[in-house]
Amino acid sequence: MVVKNVVCPVCGGSCEDIQVELKDNSITVKNACKMGNGKFQEVVSEHRIKDPMIKKDGKFVKVSWEEALDKAAEILANSRRPLLFMGSETSCEAQEVGLHMGEYLGGVVDSNATICHGPTCMGIQEAGLPTSTCGVAINRSDLNIYWGTNPLASMPRHMSKYGLFPRGYWTKRGRFDRKVITVDPRKTDTAVASDLHIQLQPNSDYELLNALLTILNGKTPHHSVEQVTGIAISVMEEMVDMMLEAKFGSINVGLGAGSSFGKHRNIEMALNLVKELNNNHGTKFRIGALRGHCNVAGFNQIATYLYGYPFALDFARGYARYNPGETSCVDLLREKDVDAALVLGADLVGHTPADSAKYLCQIPMVCIDIAPGPTPSGADVLLPGVIDAFECDGTFYRLDNVPVYFEPFTDSPFDFTKSNEDTMKQLFAKVKELKEKA
Amino acid sequence: MKFLLNTGSTIDEGRLAKGGNKYSEEYKKECAVCWISPEDFDLLGCPEKVKVTSTDGRYSIVVNTKCTDRVMCGNIFMPRAIWSNVVVNPWTFSTGSPLYKGSPVTVEPSDDEVLDAEDVVLKLYYGGE
Repeated sequence: MVVKNVVCPVCGGSCEDIQVELKDNSITVKNACKMGNGKFQEVVSEHRIKDPMIKKDGKFVKVSWEEALDKAAEILANSRRPLLFMGSETSCEAQEVGLHMGEYLGGVVDSNATICHGPTCMGIQEAGLPTSTCGVAINRSDLNIYWGTNPLASMPRHMSKYGLFPRGYWTKRGRFDRKVITVDPRKTDTAVASDLHIQLQPNSDYELLNALLTILNGKTPHHSVEQVTGIAISVMEEMVDMMLEAKFGSINVGLGAGSSFGKHRNIEMALNLVKELNNNHGTKFRIGALRGHCNVAGFNQIATYLYGYPFALDFARGYARYNPGETSCVDLLREKDVDAALVLGADLVGHTPADSAKYLCQIPMVCIDIAPGPTPSGADVLLPGVIDAFECDGTFYRLDNVPVYFEPFTDSPFDFTKSNEDTMKQLFAKVKELKEKA
Repeated sequence: MKFLLNTGSTIDEGRLAKGGNKYSEEYKKECAVCWISPEDFDLLGCPEKVKVTSTDGRYSIVVNTKCTDRVMCGNIFMPRAIWSNVVVNPWTFSTGSPLYKGSPVTVEPSDDEVLDAEDVVLKLYYGGE
């Protein structure tokens, strides 16, 4: 049977138009990108983690669900300062249980949101967010700016769904009604497909944004900015002209800005540029983060809603504290400031720097995942994950912070858990049981 | 030679990672790679493999090379994966996010073996100390 309108759980695009036909041991997918199709094939893949496992003498041994869950609960209950890492490849409902468990244990709860657009969140806290949903960009934007991002690799359908090709109410001719500027030190496929490529030097986003703001205000920036950014002032002026000629511009910020030197200050400057365009120059602009991982925006939303902070929540004092650089996962692991970890739906070992990854492999770690990889290899207890949007329902937040409810097209392959939310609830109950006994 | 390391997605890195193939040979071929500009590639002596060393000199990783004009002189690019993250600067400048883009690194030709993703975990991280 063909199932239509399935939500894709791969990137922040949360494409909701996927068609799936599941037969015995094969799955046919339509409308998904290369990454999406790869994930859909996980439903029938041979390498899927199907059994709960515990590491004994350095090797994984298959055990019963109860035994694995008991061991996982023991690790967390015995920890003085656990790190609960709620990855992006799961629902808000599962992440919510993790946040409550972190509060109960007095641990730290963090997410991919930190090592992804954490600095963007901090920039927004500094300057406010002049934004809109992607729907507004589809209908209005005649200029699209990709700043420090290569959506053709990180969100392959962004250009066709939101950025470049869609035909909207005031952009009826799609691509022919739009111009594209890409700001990237690398000549990416996105840059090649753009009308203007600003190939700036790495770590010079702040200086470039500042120079654009100066030009916007009718002044000429100091000539040294050409040397710092590698961009001629005449090209910056050309970019500003394109922005001023636009009726509605959409800026999509990637990690090129937030992950390079300057971090949240780069984002703050970009937000100030957008505010200046909107307030004083007769044009309108929106800005939004291009969130590369599935439900990475969701964690920011529910953590803020529940506890007041978007990421890096430390419950050691019984209430939530937020101090990125101290209470964020990379820093906690680098400084060896936690003594156990629970990693749900994320490859933390593969995607944190060596000092952090190495320490994570040394402390007791519980991992909930669907496929082999660096984090499952480093875990002490491995619990099979359920694939959200394929095998259970729940909520993701899209890149523009729009909640998307998803329904499954098949059931959980396990009789011991229905979803990652279910697994987290079972684990939390066991942890409470152990804590209350003690 | 000193370079600035840029890490990021490639479409096949995404396809393989999301498809749960992080321990496959194909993933290693796609991600255990250092993109170098033609000018820098010549200066390094056109090596097949290079050793990339972190800013503080504590971590190194050997990867294959790819000579391409997609990166500028003085910069290298590595797909985001376990190999590149070994040498990414771990300091977060009080933001929680390490310097995935723009980490200063050293690059030199090497004849050493390119480790599989699993071996990076087992040799460098898990049994490291």
